[in-house]
Amino acid sequence: MAFKFTPRKKFCRFCADKNLPLDYKRPDILKEFITERGKIIGRRITGTCAKHQRKLSREIKKARQMALMYYTTIHSVEVNKKIKGVEK
Amino acid sequence: MKLRRYETLILFNPDMENRERQEILEDLTKVVEEEYKGKWLVTDDWGVRELAYPVAKHTRGHYVRIEYGVPGCAIQEIERKLRLNEDVFKFLTVKLQDKFEIEEE
Repeated sequence: MAFKFTPRKKFCRFCADKNLPLDYKRPDILKEFITERGKIIGRRITGTCAKHQRKLSREIKKARQMALMYYTTIHSVEVNKKIKGVEK
Repeated sequence: MKLRRYETLILFNPDMENRERQEILEDLTKVVEEEYKGKWLVTDDWGVRELAYPVAKHTRGHYVRIEYGVPGCAIQEIERKLRLNEDVFKFLTVKLQDKFEIEEE
């Protein structure tokens, strides 16, 4: 009767696929590990292992420094364009 | 002196002329190869890209990634040279390898 919800087993994507680059130069991959607002998603949610999560957050921060990713949506070029579009 | 392998990603002003950018890179090549007896490895031009947030009121920027092997003390000089130019908006240097032999490449 009682239905027990069993979530799918999470796994570290960087351990599963050794060829997946974890690099600040690849914001397309890093983007999957941040929220829409640019916050880094925790290990509990994504299932990334501790070692790769440390590396991941470092690489995301480097990408932010080099304007490859935004810190927060207020800074984002895309959002600013939309705001300007509304005003006009 | 012990050489290490470094990589620098440089963000240039998108309105900059190719010639000016080339001059800066040539200047860096000189520092790497002549002053510090290192080795220039790769010049990887990413071209003009949309930035994630505006930098110096520009929404686009020209990225160039360079790779080279130099002793650690050369980084200070390379970064100083980059800082002098107003058309260099940002740069980031990352150490790729602790050991580097010129003969290997």
